[in-house]
Amino acid sequence: MELSVLPQQIVNGILIGAVYSLIALGYNMVYGVLRLINFAHGEVFMLGAYGALFTSWYLGFSPEDVYANPNMQGEWWHLAIMLLTAMVVCTFVGITIEFFAYRPLRKQPKIACLITAIGVSLFLQFGGALVLPNTPPPSICEQVNPFQGSFKLSLLSYNYAEKEKLAAELNRADDAFQQQFELEKKEHRVTNPFALSLKGEVLRKNKQEMERRYQSFVISEDLRTYTICLPKGQLVMLVTLGILLMILNFIVNRTSIGRGMRAVAEDASTASLMGINVNRIIVITFAIGSALAGAGGMMSATFTGSPLTTFYGLQPGLKAFVAAVLGGIGSISGAVLGGFTMGISETLIVWLGYSSYKDAIAFMLLILILLVKPNGLLGSKRVEKV
Amino acid sequence: MGHKRTLLLRLFTMLGAVLLCYAAEVFVCLFGNAYQERLVALAGLYVTLSVSLNMINGITGQFSIGHAAFYQIGAYTVGYLSLLAPVSMGYNSISWLAMMMLVAAITAGFAGFIVGLPSLRLKGDYLAIVTLGFGEIVRILVQNMDVVGGSYGMNVNPKIQHLSIIWLLAIICIGVFRNILKTGKGLVFTAVRDDEIASASVGIPVTKVKVTAFVMGSAFAGAAGALFAHYEGFITPGAFTMDLSFMILTMVMVGGSGSITGSVVAAISLFYLPEWLRDQPNITAASFLSAIFASGVFIFTLSKAMDRYYQNTFQKISAISFAVCASVGFKYLSTFFLELVPQLRDMEFEGNQLRMVIFAAILVVLMLIRPQGLLSNFELSWKGIQKLISKTLHAVRRGV
Repeated sequence: MELSVLPQQIVNGILIGAVYSLIALGYNMVYGVLRLINFAHGEVFMLGAYGALFTSWYLGFSPEDVYANPNMQGEWWHLAIMLLTAMVVCTFVGITIEFFAYRPLRKQPKIACLITAIGVSLFLQFGGALVLPNTPPPSICEQVNPFQGSFKLSLLSYNYAEKEKLAAELNRADDAFQQQFELEKKEHRVTNPFALSLKGEVLRKNKQEMERRYQSFVISEDLRTYTICLPKGQLVMLVTLGILLMILNFIVNRTSIGRGMRAVAEDASTASLMGINVNRIIVITFAIGSALAGAGGMMSATFTGSPLTTFYGLQPGLKAFVAAVLGGIGSISGAVLGGFTMGISETLIVWLGYSSYKDAIAFMLLILILLVKPNGLLGSKRVEKV
Repeated sequence: MGHKRTLLLRLFTMLGAVLLCYAAEVFVCLFGNAYQERLVALAGLYVTLSVSLNMINGITGQFSIGHAAFYQIGAYTVGYLSLLAPVSMGYNSISWLAMMMLVAAITAGFAGFIVGLPSLRLKGDYLAIVTLGFGEIVRILVQNMDVVGGSYGMNVNPKIQHLSIIWLLAIICIGVFRNILKTGKGLVFTAVRDDEIASASVGIPVTKVKVTAFVMGSAFAGAAGALFAHYEGFITPGAFTMDLSFMILTMVMVGGSGSITGSVVAAISLFYLPEWLRDQPNITAASFLSAIFASGVFIFTLSKAMDRYYQNTFQKISAISFAVCASVGFKYLSTFFLELVPQLRDMEFEGNQLRMVIFAAILVVLMLIRPQGLLSNFELSWKGIQKLISKTLHAVRRGV
């Protein structure tokens, strides 16, 4: 519970929250028009990540290629193609799920739909495990991402002079050690840097000491000056999220399709009386929600570099679901708010030192919110009709 | 006179149930191996779980998807108590087990009371989310409790493996819920399910009914958890995940929500299905894919052929047999063509890998063709059997 890492933790929370809000948007849009919790949404996210993986392989970033040429570097349009492919794949998956699993049950009680959703989710997890590569878990190579490294922002003034001095000392020690190593390599055919002569051993110890001093200085200085580390890739992710949200906002509020969506969410039967093709609207909603989940899957898999299995969507899906309820299920701005709240509260719990209770506290927060304000933070109140 | 006779009949039925369970245990122990014995025991636990969830979900209409939590609470209560009293304090195994079941039922019932209270405010999906969250919370809390072994799990001493007690609990569970539903007091549960507002307007205490259903359902799940802990002798939080809750929910829904008979049938068959699939030999991707296509063809043909409600029995039977023939033919045809592709011919799946896939597929398909469950509202009863027998006898006599 170090106060100086709090800003960093909040930033981390915002970055995690971006993925959660992308998934939560899909939950919320589908719930808005269908009143159905789409339990298979986390699996759509997973398939989006796989879509991005296969695209990166196709673009020449498969593990063999990277092994053969480790210095290759991706361009921004590689990422754009991956994002687009993931979104297109997920759109198709979402439409297929809607057509085969939910449409035949439109007139049935909601619980039947929910069971089907659970069934589809299990089917995608275990059926995907048969055909998709998952042992050993593949991950998208980080070489495809041109936005490596991170920005550092300090609140207090950073002691650069001391840092430079230490870095220079480290460099000198390292050079001396390398020289000695090369020398002994030539003279005594030593290949192991740990089996040098006495002089080499002293130089190696000196180099290690310098390295330790440099690292501990950097860490303590980061802590002292409240330094925040902003990974460039994740900033790109935030910007993309912003763009996608703007597009979504435009579709929902400025186009006739969006008007149809809002009308169906309000009252599906009246909307159909007004000449709105409800089925078409539902399909479009599924498509948009799934595309957003696919974008989330691509970004999560690319920028965090986590290994992919077919259960990749399980945890984020659940968390995003909690986020959707938290923000008010059925409300678009609520999903974004809920996603960020969820991400930040998760990292704050970790910051407090209860990282093993992370998931439990997410659900506790959820239950508390539901008991105090059952419609979520931004959800509209619904009057029950007899 | 009639009252006395009913009492006697009940007494005999109970005795009969006990004897039947005991006979079943003896039979399984004599003729089966340890694996089969364990399957029979677990099937009994699943019957209890699904019938008790049916009380909450199907009969009272409250949507709970966190039933594994109560099961876990029961199991861990017993586990903790066994730490306190490691030698089971000199009781013989059956009375100890009964005591433990009672304690676990009370604890889990209390937990059910706590979860049931929010149902005053929440409905439908929201209640589902709260119960789902409750299940996760319980599991994660137990995972972080070092007293009960955390995520490593804990040993439960003594290990008491009474198959008959497990099935007796299942029978008691079935009997209790069935008999409650036959009384006037039990009708309020179905009334709340059918229309909450209408039943409140005729003076039914809706809140009390809902909470009662939660408490009863979770108490039985807790008792089942106690038996599970003593049967396995070892429990981990990993045994009570969301998948288990979904599985129980699936059993209730596949059997038909509201039908206790359906829950029992679905619990047993869905429990045995993955185990049966585990034993199956490897199949190639080609034949698996063609089987999927063929089942699609079967459903399509059947639904097209059965769509006409003016059919007589003969036409129905011929439609079904046509669908069967068409799908089997399609299966062989498509296998032949798919095996021309070398990747599909060479890729092999183990039955063990396929079992969850097939389980999920059956779930989806069953919900699509029969959303109200297999036995939607049907209940097996003595009267029904009597009627069936007399009807058959009558028909036979007329035929002769």
